[in-house]
Amino acid sequence: MENKAQIAHRCLLLENKAVTGDWFLLTLQAPLPLQARPGQFVQLRLGPGTDPLLRRPFSIHHEDSIAGRLRLLVRVAGAGTARVAAFVAGQEIDLLGPFGQGFPYPEEKAKALLVGGGIGMAPLYFLAAQRRREGLPFDFLIGGRSAASLPADAYFREHRLEPSLATEDGSRGFRGTVTALLEHRLLTGPQPGRIHACGPLPMLARVAEIGRARGIPTHVSLESRLACAVGACLGCAFPFHRDGAVEYRRVCRDGPVFNGEEVCFES
Amino acid sequence: MKADPRLAVNLAGIAMRNPLIAASGCYGYGFDYAAWVDPAEWGAIVVKGTTLRPRPGNPPPRIVETPSGMLNAIGLQNPGVEYFLETISPRLNALGCPAIVNIAGETIAEYRAVAGLLDGAPGVSGVEVNISCPNVQCGGISFGCDPAVVEELVRQVRGAYRGPLLVKLSPEAGSLTEVARAAERAGADALSLINTIRGMVIDVEARRPVLENLTGGLSGPAIRPVAVRAVWEVAGAVSIPVVGLGGITSAADALQFILAGATAVAVGTANFVEPYAVREIKAGLLGYLAKNGLKHYRELIGAAKT
Ligand SMILES: Cc1cc2nc3c(=O)[nH]c(=O)nc-3n(C[C@H](O)[C@H](O)[C@H](O)COP(=O)(O)OP(=O)(O)OC[C@H]3O[C@@H](n4cnc5c(N)ncnc54)[C@H](O)[C@@H]3O)c2cc1C
Ligand SMILES: Cc1cc2nc3c(=O)[nH]c(=O)nc-3n(C[C@H](O)[C@H](O)[C@H](O)COP(=O)(O)O)c2cc1C
Ligand code: FES
Repeated sequence: MENKAQIAHRCLLLENKAVTGDWFLLTLQAPLPLQARPGQFVQLRLGPGTDPLLRRPFSIHHEDSIAGRLRLLVRVAGAGTARVAAFVAGQEIDLLGPFGQGFPYPEEKAKALLVGGGIGMAPLYFLAAQRRREGLPFDFLIGGRSAASLPADAYFREHRLEPSLATEDGSRGFRGTVTALLEHRLLTGPQPGRIHACGPLPMLARVAEIGRARGIPTHVSLESRLACAVGACLGCAFPFHRDGAVEYRRVCRDGPVFNGEEVCFES
Repeated sequence: MKADPRLAVNLAGIAMRNPLIAASGCYGYGFDYAAWVDPAEWGAIVVKGTTLRPRPGNPPPRIVETPSGMLNAIGLQNPGVEYFLETISPRLNALGCPAIVNIAGETIAEYRAVAGLLDGAPGVSGVEVNISCPNVQCGGISFGCDPAVVEELVRQVRGAYRGPLLVKLSPEAGSLTEVARAAERAGADALSLINTIRGMVIDVEARRPVLENLTGGLSGPAIRPVAVRAVWEVAGAVSIPVVGLGGITSAADALQFILAGATAVAVGTANFVEPYAVREIKAGLLGYLAKNGLKHYRELIGAAKT
């Protein structure tokens, strides 16, 4: 197996606090470090019983692998995530993972541009913290609707991150979308070695297009509805270009991070 | 691994350490969950539905959750039987438990051809004929509802494949017991039931079905009572063994099927939620035997009183 630490964990929820109106930061104590890589995710059981039945996937927002401490940043999107938001400190959380392929080339010395749209910043935060710790150059761009839809500056200080923010209404940072901010950076700054992105599909499509136009390798983290998360059920398939035809790949196992060039965004 | 003799069973010529089978389409080719459970913990594993030619599968979304269940419309995505024989089946011996190959086709000739290619293939302990897939245009469920068609199809497959032959039935067949008897007459060694039941979920904001395929097959605890009833009816109508499945998550669930007449049980959707399910179900079955002073689970097959 590619990851020996990929097992079940009964974690203790140390803290669950609101970060913005509908984002919650969960801090968990795992019995063993997951030794996750940025871009990997876990599957959370929502409770005992059979309704809701399936686990929900969340990216690893941060792992302190020495302390075995794990963070998830969760946006309330429906009934399942509303349950997660209502978890209370002291509760036992049943999670499986880590799953999936993370962002590639963490060791690369060239500058990386990390581009997050809304809650899509969750896995990029982990990647940014890792690059900061290892002294690898990067810029972290995050987009949101308005000032209040993104965490306060203090949120990022814990891991000495200073992302550049973009808001659509201009109430904080750059006025416009995060892809507009990305284009602005590429026009004014040096060419990065690589772009890593996570966010809504149209945003990822635009980032992949920008990367392709400038010959910058781009990696995007995709979402899909998951069931098994191990590659067995083929429920999470996403279309990709291959030799002029469409081929389905598994978001859970082949991804969730993919080469942006190969993703079939059109369908 | 120490197998408990109280759970050992021979299913239609397939020697199994226990009566638990991983259901087709829910366990890949058997290796995907190996980080949690050794595949050898299963009595047998039924691998993903295999067809004559590769199938790309349906466009997404392919799955959606429902109350205590889920709909899937995978569309039998698989690399085709040739690729299976070249690169997958040679590895199946490493599972440490028998591997059964689930097959499907769009015509009877295709079923026969796939079965013929699997005859004598290394790593393959049996074939399960899926005549009940709700997610493909031709073939699948349309074959599974007419006793005369079922009889002809199974006869053709029987002629091409000499090993243990299971036929997987849909609960949607109007006369389930007649379909079951037709399969038995045509030479099936065992029957599996049930496959998923067709369903639909509509997104009221978008005002369209959630699944790109519009409909999908319902699985999980939601279908369990339908499945137990189907096993009960069929087990009473045929003399070949029945594999019961549909919504099994625990030993208590598995026992319902065994008491209804199932010789073995299969677990699908529950693996997605709890990869350790197989281990918990086995332990629960042994606990039940001990509590009731039984020497072998066989004593419980079809033992429900009426
Ligand atoms: C690999 C991966 C990593 C993820 N990481 C995070 C994370 O770090 N933080 C976070 O907050 N969320 C993350 N998500 C998304 C999160 O898993 C979903 O928001 C959650 O499962 C929704 O569950 P729910 O029951 O609350 O909503 P549901 O009721 O299931 O759905 C809420 C709404 O979203 C729609 N929807 C649900 N799933 C999808 C989908 N795949 N595609 C399109 N529409 C969909 C539904 O139709 C509905 O309108 C991740 C998803 C994946 C696949
Ligand atoms: C994602 C998925 C894929 C499936 N693929 C197949 C298949 O290829 N062939 C088949 O005969 N049954 C297939 N099934 C049906 C299952 O094997 C099983 O009959 C059904 O899900 C009921 O059992 P369960 O409730 O334990 O999942 C599939 C089910 C699911 C959920
Ligand atoms: S969720 Fe089952 S294959 Fe990806």
